[in-house]
Amino acid sequence: MLAYIIRRLVYGVITLLALSMIVFSLLQMTGGGPLDRLKLNPRMGPYIDTLTELWGLDQPAWRQYLTWLKNYTTPETIALQNVLPVIAIGAAIGLTVLMAKFMKSQWQGLLVVGVWVLALWIAISNTTIKFNWGTSFSGAGDVWNLVFSRAGATFRLGLTALTLALIIGVPLGIYQAVRQYSFFDQLGTVGAFFAFSTPIFIIGIGLQIVLALYLERWTGVKIFYVTGMNSPGYSDLSAIGKLVDTVQHLVLPAVSIALISLAGYARFQRSSMLEVLHSDYLRTAKAKGLPRRKVIVKHALRNAMIPVVTLVSLDLAFMIGGAIITESIFGWPGIGRLYILAITTIDYPLVMAIVMVIGMGLVLMNIIADILYGVLDPRVRYD
Amino acid sequence: MTETLLKVEDLRTYFSTEEGVVRAVDGISFELAPGERRGIVGESGSGKSVTAMSIMRLIEPPAGEIVTGTIEFRGENLLMLGDDEMQKIRGSKIAMIFQDPMTALNPVYTIGDQLMETIILHQGVSAAQARDLAIQALEDVQIPNPEGKLSEYPHQFSGGMRQRVMIAMGLSCNPDLLIADEPTTALDVTTQAQIMNLMLKLAAERDTAVLLITHDLGVVAGFCDTVQVMYAGGIVEFGTADEVFHNPQHPYTWGLLGSMTRLDEVHKKRLHSIAGAPPSVIDLPIGCRFKPRCEFAIDKCGKVLPMLQDVEGGSQRVACHRAEELDLKTFTVTDDEHEEVAS
Ligand SMILES: Nc1ncnc2c1ncn2[C@@H]1O[C@H](COP(=O)(O)OP(=O)(O)O)[C@@H](O)[C@H]1O
Ligand SMILES: [Mg+2]
Repeated sequence: MLAYIIRRLVYGVITLLALSMIVFSLLQMTGGGPLDRLKLNPRMGPYIDTLTELWGLDQPAWRQYLTWLKNYTTPETIALQNVLPVIAIGAAIGLTVLMAKFMKSQWQGLLVVGVWVLALWIAISNTTIKFNWGTSFSGAGDVWNLVFSRAGATFRLGLTALTLALIIGVPLGIYQAVRQYSFFDQLGTVGAFFAFSTPIFIIGIGLQIVLALYLERWTGVKIFYVTGMNSPGYSDLSAIGKLVDTVQHLVLPAVSIALISLAGYARFQRSSMLEVLHSDYLRTAKAKGLPRRKVIVKHALRNAMIPVVTLVSLDLAFMIGGAIITESIFGWPGIGRLYILAITTIDYPLVMAIVMVIGMGLVLMNIIADILYGVLDPRVRYD
Repeated sequence: MTETLLKVEDLRTYFSTEEGVVRAVDGISFELAPGERRGIVGESGSGKSVTAMSIMRLIEPPAGEIVTGTIEFRGENLLMLGDDEMQKIRGSKIAMIFQDPMTALNPVYTIGDQLMETIILHQGVSAAQARDLAIQALEDVQIPNPEGKLSEYPHQFSGGMRQRVMIAMGLSCNPDLLIADEPTTALDVTTQAQIMNLMLKLAAERDTAVLLITHDLGVVAGFCDTVQVMYAGGIVEFGTADEVFHNPQHPYTWGLLGSMTRLDEVHKKRLHSIAGAPPSVIDLPIGCRFKPRCEFAIDKCGKVLPMLQDVEGGSQRVACHRAEELDLKTFTVTDDEHEEVAS
């Protein structure tokens, strides 16, 4: 288990290095440069040379990359506010080693993930840390601050969408399988087909028109907002008012992102459940005399959910793509909108920083998903 | 037969498929006494498994349906029971062991969990008592270190060990009837005999009747009291193992016996097999279903479906129009005679 996690982390670092090289090369190959727009303005002439030198654009590409890599991975400031981070990380390492050695239960994976999430959270919130990710070429400011002022918004949107897709998609698929060929099943199939084949920007705009515009016109009450994360007067609201306002803003963009994935999960869960329902061990469970409910809840569900874990970890990257589009449609102040801005202005430091943050998120989520796999399936061995 | 444990009458189980209605079991009747060991033999597709699944009432609508018939178990028609009454019988009064032990156990639960689940369900004991009973059950099927094995998962067991677990599970509630559907087919030859011996020994100790579905006639000859031969959804011959093996009345049984290897006879006689393939149970021929492959068929065989008739003397029954005139015994003796018949 321990060796497995370490190996996965090493692979993760290698993946991220490769990713950074590929994206850096792609940026070099775009044909335009970050200064092209400035060059259109004749009065900028004298600055061009200064900026070229300041940003190191006159250097060969490989040197630019190495400079970026060095800066990107070097902390500018790092300070512990107290001893909690040391204690938390130490405890996490200790617990992981102990569990890997002595714990035989299949819940081991879940515990390890839980311990580390908690430890890292404690560590980060008691540390002052900042990396030298550079200054945005397009004048948007310090990249580290920029990315982390936006990351929370994307995280909120993404997590809500993922949760929605899971808690609706998975039970939907299971129900469809248990009631195969019923009216509900057919309805689900048709619905999933529509959701799956509609581009995300149509879904987003469609939801805005139907659930915001028409619904407001029809009921006379504003139920959902189509832009932003909170209303302008947010800080004056009561606690409940704040929650309601947040939900009103969150629902439509989250549903837009979730819908396609949800349809995918439901389809996949349905077929996986059907396979389990026809399996030999389910026949054994029935032959034992277990009531149908128990046969399904105890013997079928867990098996049927194993393949879905893989699908979800693959789907995360797709969801991030959806989030980038959705953030633009819904004016969501997240990383996605920042990313589009960065790309259109060929803002090297900003593009690199965002790609790497998303990359790190995906690598971590994949490791977590693979560890959780072992919780559902005792046949998985971490070696 | 004085007492009956199981009485199946005119059972018909059909499946609707895209090609048409599959008459997998088409009007079979038989009785089983308490503690009796019955072999059910026949080529694959003859309806043996469907018979077993019908008795367990595990045929899943809408694809499959028991169309008519009665299955009386201890005088009670299982087909009239409600779902929860049937659940009380499954696993406790009638247990079943399946062909492929590799897939018959749930991969995500421990052996102990799956064993204890059955015990708690039917015996209403506490978890601690169930644990003791589970250990005892594993000990009975001669699994070493049963206590340690409780917390292991099926994938940590070999095929033979898993089938032992299935037997332990099947017998854990002392059922009156154990249905074993080709329990050793998926195992290697050396394990087969061990498992079969063990299962039948344990069943005998518990006075459990056994319906043993197999295509290994040697097993039937060695272990079963009685045998019924199935062909294309019907029973074509029934009798004690002795009767059927030494004096087959149906040409199909005779053919099956002929295709059996016997070490002591290998040199004396060439193996023969039954020509052709079993009919599709979707469009069955009118008359005797075995007629197209039968060496002895006459006109009548193509017109009238023969019913199971008592054979004079003994308990044997056969469904063949020519049973009385034919003396199949004499055809099986040597190779020459067999060729004589075939030509
Ligand atoms: N679920 C099913 N759907 C359709 N046909 C089935 C089903 N189960 C069994 N059959 C058909 O019923 C016939 C008898 O099958 P079975 O009882 O499994 O034979 P066997 O004697 O080999 O155990 C076969 O022709 C098989 O194709
Ligand atoms: Mg079968």
